[in-house]
Amino acid sequence: MQDLMAVAGDALAPGNVAWVLFGVTLGYLVGALPGLGKGTATAVAIPLTFYLEPLSAIAFLVGISKGSTAGSAVSAILLNTPGEPSSTPTAMAGYPLARAGKAQKALKMGLFASVIGDLFSTIVLILIAQELAAYALGVGPVELTAILAFSMVFIAGLSGRSLIKGLIAGLFGILVSCIGLEVETGSPRLTFGMIELYDGLPLIPVAIGMLALSEMMIQIGQRHRLAEESDLLKGSNKPEDMRVTLDDWKRCLRPIVRGSLIGTVIGILPGLGASVGSFLSYGAERKASGRGADFEESGAIEGVAAAESADNAVVPASLVPLFAIGIPGSVIAAILIGAFTIQGITPGPLLFLENKDLILGVYISMLAASIILLFIGYFGQNMFARIVRISPALIMPVVVFLCCVGAYLQGGGVFGISVMVIFGVIGFFTKKYDFSFVTFLIGFVIGPSFELSLRQSLGLVTNLSEMADHPVALVFGVLAVVGVWRLTVMQRKQMEAMSRREDAAARSEREARTNNIEQPRESTT
Amino acid sequence: MKGIFRRTALGAAVAAAAMLSATGIAQAADWPTKPITMLIGYKAGGGTDTKGRVLAKILARELGQQVNVINRPGGGQAVALESFKNTPADGAVFFFGAVSGITLNPQINSALKFTSSDYVYAGGLTEFQVSMVAPQDRPYDDMKGFIAFAKEKGRIKYASLSPGAKIMMQAIAKQEGINVDYIPTKGGRGMVQLVLSGQVDFAYSGGIQSRYPGKIKTLAATSTARLGNYPDVPTLDELGYTGVAIDAPTVVAFPKGIDPAIVSKMEAALKVASTDPAMKKISDAIKMPIVYKTAAEATQLVDHSTAAIADMLKAIGYQATN
Repeated sequence: MQDLMAVAGDALAPGNVAWVLFGVTLGYLVGALPGLGKGTATAVAIPLTFYLEPLSAIAFLVGISKGSTAGSAVSAILLNTPGEPSSTPTAMAGYPLARAGKAQKALKMGLFASVIGDLFSTIVLILIAQELAAYALGVGPVELTAILAFSMVFIAGLSGRSLIKGLIAGLFGILVSCIGLEVETGSPRLTFGMIELYDGLPLIPVAIGMLALSEMMIQIGQRHRLAEESDLLKGSNKPEDMRVTLDDWKRCLRPIVRGSLIGTVIGILPGLGASVGSFLSYGAERKASGRGADFEESGAIEGVAAAESADNAVVPASLVPLFAIGIPGSVIAAILIGAFTIQGITPGPLLFLENKDLILGVYISMLAASIILLFIGYFGQNMFARIVRISPALIMPVVVFLCCVGAYLQGGGVFGISVMVIFGVIGFFTKKYDFSFVTFLIGFVIGPSFELSLRQSLGLVTNLSEMADHPVALVFGVLAVVGVWRLTVMQRKQMEAMSRREDAAARSEREARTNNIEQPRESTT
Repeated sequence: MKGIFRRTALGAAVAAAAMLSATGIAQAADWPTKPITMLIGYKAGGGTDTKGRVLAKILARELGQQVNVINRPGGGQAVALESFKNTPADGAVFFFGAVSGITLNPQINSALKFTSSDYVYAGGLTEFQVSMVAPQDRPYDDMKGFIAFAKEKGRIKYASLSPGAKIMMQAIAKQEGINVDYIPTKGGRGMVQLVLSGQVDFAYSGGIQSRYPGKIKTLAATSTARLGNYPDVPTLDELGYTGVAIDAPTVVAFPKGIDPAIVSKMEAALKVASTDPAMKKISDAIKMPIVYKTAAEATQLVDHSTAAIADMLKAIGYQATN
């Protein structure tokens, strides 16, 4: 107990708290910028930690990752440009709210959900990191392959109207992720002799192109509606649109609890990452609400809460495998390994024996970061929310410019910008033809680990009877197959019901919409 | 201390600004006149990256310019080296990494366009503790015991983290007549995961096992001389696998055509770095000993390694892919 008090004294010393505060603030700022996410924020900050004490260094970096994860909701809600893929569902449910003048409400709910998810996950980390080491060791390549396949089916089934279209998009994402030098022998694949492609396509430009740039293209294509939209974005005078009401809390409590749980579990499993967590949580809430596509059309505060709670819950939970066995479960964890190593500390089972005080100090700093996040986010958001007063005609070029900066910094210069433009065009058409660009991105992100773990599994399991040694993998494998079957049957029934109900009104509405799209072309000819 | 913080923060800001500005041709005499970039062919957080980042700080102090670190992982450093070949030879970018990436890759993958003669070497700094390892709980404690185990079991599973790691095991397997399933992994971290969970019987390691004492045991050194960290562990040569070993010291390289004055300046800065307390601290922490080599020594080492690998590949009858 005396030890704990001494450690708490160290962790809560003004110097250390100042670094946590600085970390959260910096992270929040970077996260709020479109196209810049926690990976960038943490990586940029690493050199700053060389001269810090180990505790301050780790606390600072954890503060950045927490802050930027929450901060990326700001650009997602206000500009529909997520700082990173894991905030995409936030944009899908939150941006329509911003257009309806409820930006403040969405931002606040997003922040509260973030903080709750983050705090919950941090407590879980503290409680189970040590105990879970033995179990996490069992998640080997075979289990990971099955879990990834299962996640793919789940996401493909929930993120669009059609499972088949979702799977096509997801597998296309995996195909695109195969570009580059193959992992085992280093042979080039689909590179067409271009050296830039040897690295594979850079994630950030692909994501910015698919998410932000394609959206800008769609909006520019609808520019006759822009004036109307800028009115909508002006904000609301109704006080209940500016704050989170008791009714909102009632609606969001369930998604936040579910999101925190999903995010924590996904974070603990190595290799899945924040995107899977926020998409799963969002998809589950979308299904549970029974509102379907209305979620994206008129926006949903529950969707923001579900996505943000899971997104933030992934970050502390992904430190479980890092602290317990020294395996990074996320980008943040991977960068933290570097920070630990610089300080001469080895993440892994021995951490709890050799550096017990440090770990306790990190835990206390992480709890402090959750609280600080709430304050920074709450008071900082008013500053960022001012963006809503600017006309979209002014915002759009700025967004495109920031997209270019992000793609340039993260994609190796002009090459990154070219990649972004190409995937902007692909994203434009996937959105027009209702192929889930989200599933594409997830496929692209998990593609390399899916391929590697599949190939490892093929080496590890040389005949079928050996699968009996991997019950977890069998369960997830069966769930994936059952998922394909159930979702297909469900969607076919929905389609049949829809076609039966489809009356003249719906048909005429669709015709009217088609005519609307055709109009500009007619006027030019 | 506060001054240092401020300077570091300022440095990061300068680095960010420098990434946006185009690089011009520096005058060799007063090189570097702008921030320069260290290219690393592995992911951030590994042994090379950790050491590279400490080296970058020391070089920044010695050369009087910010040194930015860029990671381009993939293909056992092949990705970084392939693009590095076409970088202008103006001293704006230099490579820091294991020599095996330069000497082995072009000989086993005909799709790669670079060779070891495309670069100029400014010196060496450190040595990977390259070795063959096994999970602690396996019944064998040396190579002999392992081979007996492999023959009794029929097949063994081997984690292979690079093309070189696979080739060395292929040579051993051919000589001993054992069957091996090769499990590809990406970097030391992935290898450690497979070894710690006991899913493989055997693995190649760049030396990361020193961080897992009592969990991973070292059975053989895959270098030509015994390793500093494991003086009691015999080399592959001593064990009768002649010519199989591939050394992996780290070198600093520039693209061909670089001004010799720049190379000399870097060589001098590396010598300072090799005795720097920060470098010593990090080398002890990650157990990767400092082995300083002059530009001439590094160049000779690259030539020697290239020839030795060519002999080994010929001896095992290796066919280049693609």
